[in-house]
Amino acid sequence: MFDTFLLESVINGILLGGVLALLALGLNLIFGVIDVVWICYAELVMIGMYAIWWLHVYYGVPLPGAIVSAVMVVALMGVLLHRLVIEPVLGKPPINQLLVTGGVLFFLQAAATLAFGIEFRNLGLRMPVVEFGDMFFSFARLLAFGTALAGVLLLWLFLTRSYLGTAIRAISQDREIMPLMGVDPRRIYLITSAIGGGMAGVAASLLVLQYDVHPAIGLSFGPITFMICVMGGLGNMLGGFLAAFVFAQFISVGGYFFQIEWGYVIAFAFFIAMMFIRPKGLFSR
Amino acid sequence: MSLTATRRAILGGAGALPFATGAFAQQREIRIGVIYDYTGPFAAGGSLAAALGTKHAIELMNERGGVEGHRIHAIYADAQSRTEVAINEMTRLLEQERVDLIMGVFSSAHCVPMAQRVNQQRRFMWANVCVASSVFKDRNLEYVFRAQVHSDQFGEASCRFVHEVAEERLRKRPADVRIAIIYEDGPYGAGVAAGNEAMTRELGMRLVLKEGYAATAPDLSSLVTKLRRERPDVILHTGYNPDITLFLRQSRELGLRWRALIGHGAGYGQIDRLNQTFGRDANFIFNVDPVAAQLLNPASLAPGMGELTNEMVRRYRAETNAQEVPPHTSMGFNQTWIFLSDVLPRAIRNHGGFTPDALRQAALATDIPDGGTIQGYGVRFNPPGHPMAGQNSRSTPVVMQYVDAQTKIVWPRAIKTADPVIPLPPDHPYAAR
Repeated sequence: MFDTFLLESVINGILLGGVLALLALGLNLIFGVIDVVWICYAELVMIGMYAIWWLHVYYGVPLPGAIVSAVMVVALMGVLLHRLVIEPVLGKPPINQLLVTGGVLFFLQAAATLAFGIEFRNLGLRMPVVEFGDMFFSFARLLAFGTALAGVLLLWLFLTRSYLGTAIRAISQDREIMPLMGVDPRRIYLITSAIGGGMAGVAASLLVLQYDVHPAIGLSFGPITFMICVMGGLGNMLGGFLAAFVFAQFISVGGYFFQIEWGYVIAFAFFIAMMFIRPKGLFSR
Repeated sequence: MSLTATRRAILGGAGALPFATGAFAQQREIRIGVIYDYTGPFAAGGSLAAALGTKHAIELMNERGGVEGHRIHAIYADAQSRTEVAINEMTRLLEQERVDLIMGVFSSAHCVPMAQRVNQQRRFMWANVCVASSVFKDRNLEYVFRAQVHSDQFGEASCRFVHEVAEERLRKRPADVRIAIIYEDGPYGAGVAAGNEAMTRELGMRLVLKEGYAATAPDLSSLVTKLRRERPDVILHTGYNPDITLFLRQSRELGLRWRALIGHGAGYGQIDRLNQTFGRDANFIFNVDPVAAQLLNPASLAPGMGELTNEMVRRYRAETNAQEVPPHTSMGFNQTWIFLSDVLPRAIRNHGGFTPDALRQAALATDIPDGGTIQGYGVRFNPPGHPMAGQNSRSTPVVMQYVDAQTKIVWPRAIKTADPVIPLPPDHPYAAR
């Protein structure tokens, strides 16, 4: 007999994949171009969520305006992060780069606690219920899925059809030779950081529709986002995008057939197995 | 309410205490290490409200002259909602600050290892809020005591309530009532869920799903889908704050309906928060917890308890500007007051001071009858050798219901302040159709 609930779980897994793919997109771009992992990426998303809440709920800024402002704020934070924290350790051992961005993670968590307190904040919005046959889907997740698709398409067009995008790809392919050909890597890194930060801001604008924001929300998404990026091949944007959907299906369908915790166990076990079989990632070339 | 300012005030005050001079500094003092989660997800889940209750009880006792001529010197520590931090802070308080005892603790995940370690070191711990039965069960702890209710009782209370109202309200024989148990998978959630399951089976009700999840899980949609498939009449839920809001939000989006949702403390104890987030959708949620003291009729309690409750409420409102005083504040205040007003004076008078052994003997001699505390229950600790040695044998939770932003007691019948609204009215967004 046809199992409607199973189909619903599969579709909800695809929609969850959209959320995770959106998170992985910016992080992969940064690593692919600058070769640095922003451990604090999920905390930038958290700051973006707070910015939207603060502007919309506290100051009454209309939601679209609050979202655009938040994306710009997080993009600016990406630039500052690169200029103040990453640039001094570029070319240093990777562990130093990990530690400084890890330090920023704790700094942002503590700063958010001091600035916004420990309470759980939300926009108080009621999203419409999307019903199809006997199945139900989250409107916010549909929105996130559509945005993730649009985001990856726009990013691809930017990287392949614009001069700046071509320069970014060129730098990511050879960091040594491109400066000799007139490309200013410092400028490219700053632009990439702004785009990566902006992507975190876009993710924040969709997560704030689904989740309460609190200083520790990064803990819910940070580790999974990194695993997806590694599973897709760090720096491989299409790989990360696809890995997000693979990972989400394990969580959703695994959670449907077994205890919900087992969904995560299966996903993590698959990740570990993949690291043995394809250490450079599922979709590495 | 501004919990940020409050947290700063507590920690700032704690920092200033060691520099206190003058008459107080000359007085003999008892050093108490108070550990709560002032930051991280547990803080807004009830820990800060409980910490305020404890702080106010200590301040009130000092204002009344202290305990047997001793001023209470509290040293507050933030566990940051992380178990390893809680253990490190406990070690620091015991070994560097040389406190005489450890008090507080919101999360059962912290409480289980802390209690074990304190007991091994033969130091003294007074647990205020954590509820997991596993803190005590079959561990024969000698130096750890808890007047608070325990998780087996939570699990029992909700099931007995459903069993009692099944035929009259749900129009079903208890054996036909479909029960689902969902819980965060830490010691607290797992402990309550185990109590739920045991009592569901004992009362012959039908368990259709029992499932745990991580409190930090970013998605509960497959759990919601399974619940829709099983069509429970009653969902028994134990969780903290972010997971409860995620569950309620995803349930609404994914079309999950029920006839009653019964929470078990923690995030469900925060009525202000639930109302702020869900508005009227939070109407008619049940919550099992030790009763918030201000909901009890003072005439049913020992003399002086009503005034004590009023003082607790006054101080909490003055510090937070909140209208609703959550049950966690009563837990933090009540347990602290029981220790300071009953156990500690007896230790000093009858057992020569406040060493761990003196405190232990005084705790074992505690005999407060029902009605003798602001939360109504009495206190008598299970003796060594008992499967739950150190746990209060007279504590009891109640079942409350949130009706139009007010908290009503609906079970047990003897102290109820309103009839339960069950099943949900048909026009409620979560009502089963």
